[in-house]
Amino acid sequence: MTESAIRVARVSKYFISPFRRRVTVGLSDLNLEIAPGEVYGLLGPNGSGKSTTLKIILGLIPPTRGDVTIFGQEHNSVRTRRHIGFLPENAYYHKFLTGAETLRFHAKLSGLSARETPARIDDLLELVGLTRARQARLSTYSKGMLQRIGLAQALIHDPKILVLDEPTAAVDPAGSRDIQNLIASLKARGVTVLLSSHLLTQVQEVCDRVGILHRGKLLREGRLDELLAVENQMELVLENASPELLTNIEREVTAAQARVITRRTSLTSLEQFFLKVTHDSKE
Amino acid sequence: MIASARRSFAIAGATFTELARLRVFYVLILFALVLIFSATFLARISFQQELQVTRDIALGAIDFFLSLLAIVATAQLLPRDLEDRVVYSILAKPVRRFEYLLGKFFGALALLAASLVVMSILCLIVLHFREAAALRSAQQQLAPLGAEQVAVATRAIHIAGVNPVFFSALAFTLLKTAVLVAITLAVSSFATSSIFTISALAMVFLIGHLEGIARDYWLSEHAVGWVTRAFLAVIVFVFPDFEAFNLSDQLAGSALLAAPLLLKTGLLALFYIVSYLIVAVAIFSQREL
Repeated sequence: MTESAIRVARVSKYFISPFRRRVTVGLSDLNLEIAPGEVYGLLGPNGSGKSTTLKIILGLIPPTRGDVTIFGQEHNSVRTRRHIGFLPENAYYHKFLTGAETLRFHAKLSGLSARETPARIDDLLELVGLTRARQARLSTYSKGMLQRIGLAQALIHDPKILVLDEPTAAVDPAGSRDIQNLIASLKARGVTVLLSSHLLTQVQEVCDRVGILHRGKLLREGRLDELLAVENQMELVLENASPELLTNIEREVTAAQARVITRRTSLTSLEQFFLKVTHDSKE
Repeated sequence: MIASARRSFAIAGATFTELARLRVFYVLILFALVLIFSATFLARISFQQELQVTRDIALGAIDFFLSLLAIVATAQLLPRDLEDRVVYSILAKPVRRFEYLLGKFFGALALLAASLVVMSILCLIVLHFREAAALRSAQQQLAPLGAEQVAVATRAIHIAGVNPVFFSALAFTLLKTAVLVAITLAVSSFATSSIFTISALAMVFLIGHLEGIARDYWLSEHAVGWVTRAFLAVIVFVFPDFEAFNLSDQLAGSALLAAPLLLKTGLLALFYIVSYLIVAVAIFSQREL
């Protein structure tokens, strides 16, 4: 049996206010199993426990009870953290460093040798599209650029697991698409990705499985095609179909005692339309 | 071990750069410079007294501004990293929390050492010119009284200027600053704002400078009970006696400092630095980020 990349077993987290003696439930009996190479999306409204889950997995806060393991190992150890890259939500990093200096700093923290660091920095800046901004200070970066340098720092040590907290928040549609493409390419290389988001369309496009958190509880979990499939309904998308053909199909459907629920011209998504328009104007 | 030191060194480097680019740093340096130079315009009492007052004020200004810089700059380090969420991306890497804190400590200390060097060089330049001027004036005014009078005045001026104790005083200032950085990090490790840390450190600074006087006063009373003694013992243990780092009495003479005094002060500083760093690490390791 393959070892889980991330395993969260019966984890609860209570936040106790020291003076008011009030207990807030952050997570309640959470169980997660994420397989190696899987892209898992943690969905939920604000305050549902997404960031708390990620922080517990990363060892930034301890669970009140329960266990977390990374590839079967203690999640808190320095050795385990060599396998994990993390992109925090709306992180700003050291504003006084340039893009290249930021990556050099994180390379040192990750234990990369001085020999392999320059090539790794070049590759990552190229990957996230910041080669031209490598010498600019982070204080001059836009939010989208900060998110991309954040992704680069998370990938600097070539981690086996990438944890992304709201990766496309504050990023324009083109940047968001780039991040989605990057996640897809990481998945192709066997990297396990755990991301939290409340942008459902993007999660739908990149995730193999999702879990829906609400008030610290995992309400539903599963493969997207299983969760979203509407029982006993099918879609048929046609190209260059004549009106006669459509009439014949509808007749056949009725004859077979089935029902055509809707008939309409296919629409592209607003995101695809936006990307096409902005891409065309560049050319 | 080497990897651990490398990670702390990386954080220290980033901390040094961060602090060096803080505007407050330049303002404090400016204040120190203004004070050092203003000392040269003090009323003249005698050649060597003028020089002595200039030197003492300059040393006092360095001590005060370096202490202020140590508290204000260090107090901002952890809250700033938490606010900008930099701490998440650092501690999600293979970095232990004690490595992170040690990096902050040595980064702040490196900046303070650099500040001390800059201020000391400026101070030495000012004192060199004041000493030269005092020597010229003494020779001109005392020449009619004979060579012996000139020699006595010259010797007094040399003692009042840059003597060997002066450099020890600068080193002691750095030790005191290192203690302040360690205490500031310890308070910062549980504080929720830099304002709280700065306020707490202002009290520590005050207590540390006054505890020697209070201790001598209370202990000179014959009827002092065990409660007072226990209270004083706790105060002395918790708060370092900052007057131990003050060499103003020894500066009056030019004799080299005795080795036991140097060793005792060095060990005192080391004790407080290590103790407060251990407290900082213990608290920060349990802190929920």
